Amino acid sequence: MEMTFTVNGTQAKVEIDPAETLLGVLRERLRLTGTKEGCNEGECGACTVLVDGLPVDSCIYSAAATGGRRVETVEGLTLDELGRDLQAAFVAAGGVQCGFCTPGFIATLVSVLRENEAPSEDDLRTALAGNICRCTGYSQILDAVAATVSRRNGR
Amino acid sequence: MTIAEPVHNQRKYVGTSVRRTEDPRLLAGRGQYIDDLTVPKMIEGAILRSPLAHARITNIDVSRALELPGVFDVITGKDLAAVAGQQPVIWLPIPDQRLAKTHALAVDRVRWVGQAVAAVVAVDRYVAEDALELIEVDYEPLPVVADLEAALAPDAPKLYDDWPDNVSGSHSYKTGDADAAFASADLVVSGSFTHGRAMGCPLEPRGCIVSWDSFSDTLDLWLSTQAPNLARDLLAEVFEVPVSKIRVRTPNLGGGFGNKFDFYGEEIIAAVLSRRTGRPVKIVEDRADSFVATGHSRDQRLDFEMALNNDGTIVGLRGISYGVLGGALSTVGAGPCWASVLTCMGPYKIPNLDVTVKVVMTNRAPYGSYRGWGAPKGNIVHERLIEMAARELGMDRAEIRRKNFPAPEEFPYFSGAAFTFDSGRYADCLDLAMSKVEELGWRERQAKARAEGRSLGIGYSFHIEPSGYGPSRIMNLVGLQHSGFDEATVRMDSVGKVTVYSGQINMGQGTHTTYAQIAADNLGVPMEDVVVVTGDTDSCPYTGYGTGGSRGAPLGGASILRASQRLRGKILRVAAQLLEASPDDLEINDGQISVRGTSSKSVSTRDVGDAAYRRLLDKLPEEEMPTLEEVDVFDPPNMATSYGCTALLVEVDRETGMVSLLDCLQAHDCGTVLNPMLVDGQLAGGLAQALGGALLEELVYDDEAQLKTASFMDYLLPTAMDIPPFQFFHQETPAPDIPGGVKGVGEAGTIAGVSLVASAIDDALSDLGVTVTRFPVTPPRLLDQIREAQSRKEGSA
Repeated sequence: MEMTFTVNGTQAKVEIDPAETLLGVLRERLRLTGTKEGCNEGECGACTVLVDGLPVDSCIYSAAATGGRRVETVEGLTLDELGRDLQAAFVAAGGVQCGFCTPGFIATLVSVLRENEAPSEDDLRTALAGNICRCTGYSQILDAVAATVSRRNGR
Repeated sequence: MTIAEPVHNQRKYVGTSVRRTEDPRLLAGRGQYIDDLTVPKMIEGAILRSPLAHARITNIDVSRALELPGVFDVITGKDLAAVAGQQPVIWLPIPDQRLAKTHALAVDRVRWVGQAVAAVVAVDRYVAEDALELIEVDYEPLPVVADLEAALAPDAPKLYDDWPDNVSGSHSYKTGDADAAFASADLVVSGSFTHGRAMGCPLEPRGCIVSWDSFSDTLDLWLSTQAPNLARDLLAEVFEVPVSKIRVRTPNLGGGFGNKFDFYGEEIIAAVLSRRTGRPVKIVEDRADSFVATGHSRDQRLDFEMALNNDGTIVGLRGISYGVLGGALSTVGAGPCWASVLTCMGPYKIPNLDVTVKVVMTNRAPYGSYRGWGAPKGNIVHERLIEMAARELGMDRAEIRRKNFPAPEEFPYFSGAAFTFDSGRYADCLDLAMSKVEELGWRERQAKARAEGRSLGIGYSFHIEPSGYGPSRIMNLVGLQHSGFDEATVRMDSVGKVTVYSGQINMGQGTHTTYAQIAADNLGVPMEDVVVVTGDTDSCPYTGYGTGGSRGAPLGGASILRASQRLRGKILRVAAQLLEASPDDLEINDGQISVRGTSSKSVSTRDVGDAAYRRLLDKLPEEEMPTLEEVDVFDPPNMATSYGCTALLVEVDRETGMVSLLDCLQAHDCGTVLNPMLVDGQLAGGLAQALGGALLEELVYDDEAQLKTASFMDYLLPTAMDIPPFQFFHQETPAPDIPGGVKGVGEAGTIAGVSLVASAIDDALSDLGVTVTRFPVTPPRLLDQIREAQSRKEGSA
């Protein structure tokens, strides 16, 4: 079947199999490989992208269901002002180690901070419960978010 | 070769939290991990795995799979064994050990669930997986050995018919006279400690792309490995081809944690399929594969006892560590279980030791490398027993530890079993941690909570981390069939910029950043002028072992430091000719070379590069060879032992057995700190893994040795909800045997964190007298202990 959706602000028309996942379409058909497959069962969050602004696990999300909707991946969020602020804060705080989970974290966090400009640490820990990082132990990621929040609110 | 004068390091970068050079690419999603790579004409493989833990293969029919459109080839164990040897084992620490080796595909018998039985390669992975379902395998089930007790039972079924039992080997280390010490001791405490199976679970599963060019007979691999040079040597062994015909490249790694140190069957399978089809073959495991095909670890029972005098002095330690191996040996064989025994005395002076490692085969998946290796279980032995002794003796937990530390002047200190600890200020480190606990008011928090009827506990763990594995000849002596040195090349080019080539691998630690820091400081150039290249056996030098054993910073760093210092000497000699000065009078700062103390005249590294590569006449001294390049090989005279004292504040819910982690700190000494931000990242990440291992993570097998926890829904990794905040405090005791003074830090957290949780839980439940001995401490297990202690207490009341 043919599907049309918006990816990072650009309209894409792709031929898909109805059983295909959004992750498969992004990585294999559009070669947007920034989004990662960590578990293929919606548990680790490495494949998190935004659909109409909300974070989803693209590895278990039907590609067909994104027809006509707006998808944002790390490639697009790198051009987004909030995404860039978060990325800069990750660098400053040591929030990246292997980098495999990072695109998913950025996606989740962009969504969280768009909704709530000043989340508490508890809010953040809860929001990130679906994103596993095996390298950092989370504390430097949380530092990065705290720095982003205070920087943006100080503007 | 001219050795430069000792350099007065400017240390502009070393010791500071320089931002990682790796990050911008990774943050933008532009990293290239194995599954992001494609090569022209590539086809994709998938693997059929055994559904049974123990069975004979009586027949395999692949005909229907071969007929599926899109399938290129299907192979079985017999096909593979005709062209490839058995999987190599490099760690043989137990003399006369019986070696359970296997081919990458089972030939006639399977010994664990998930063992590879056949492989398909097809146009893509979807077709390959469809074809797997068309392969028919006839199994004749055999009796299953599901766990340690079953394996050691007198009438146990045997995994290897020609062995007398399921024991692969056993080896003891003895110092002094343990029996006499125990006989005359005032107190003996003992415990049987178990650590369940766990694994590293790098978020990126393993994978490879292999091209076998049959015209030139060369083998070209992209491999998600921590040890490309080792992989290359082992590929050469398995296929009996010259090492020079093999190239291994490593893309970005999505975590390794030891799981990607080991050498796996998939790279062999992909090579065979590529040779047969003439096409590059990609095999990337998915998470379900990973749970059965990537190394499991930790699975050990440790029955130990400690003898003490009434004043708290430890006089003896004896016991046996059972390693619950799987159906065949992994690359590292009995290595991790052996290392538990070598570290079971921990930071304490114990004059009489009698400790044994015994490794036993079961129908579980092979036991491989996982960050910390044996040390986390060694740590359980000494930290649990010393706390039990403190309780019996009515001594303070810190006091009894302090009493048994070697003093700083007693180093180098021989542990009594193979390792010599290089240096340390253990008591200072303990005091640092205790003072921070005081400052943070944990005791007040605990007292207040207790007054409210809540159970808060403070736990401690003192750990040692033998790092910088290791002096090659000593490693050989203790059974490693490989070396431990490191080689680096540091090159300045014709425009004065620097490239560092290392055989080490960057799997997330920030190696490229720390190496650039070291080179920039020792050369006297800006860090922006340094490029670090790793991950290609064709362009990068050899490293013994690989990136494991906390080697990257101390050994990789030392060879870069030494090569950079020598190169600096040559740069100054060339500059001396340009400046008509003596090299001894020159200094180099930010890439500018001038006479020390004057600013009038200077040349740049660009001028020096030009003189050494292009316009030599009258510029390059006659006695100097053109080019600017130094190679260094560093084989350490001893390992470097890091250590730390970790403290944890927990709350235990006595109704549910749930443990909440409230706060955590660590005082740590890894010698010279190259980059505090990255060191803290290593410590925090390792601790998070250990806290997961202590409370959540377990690979559970049932009586038929079926793995019941083969997904993240059942194998629980810690999330941001579970992990406490961390604070780290450093003291720096430079490693005496490592140029630069760096000790390894990669495994610290994983070693410290397991016994730490037990210590904190015991403290939270001190009124009940609970002693945690089994890990992970899941809520049902802890609840059982709480209820048992409560009824015991009521019974005695």
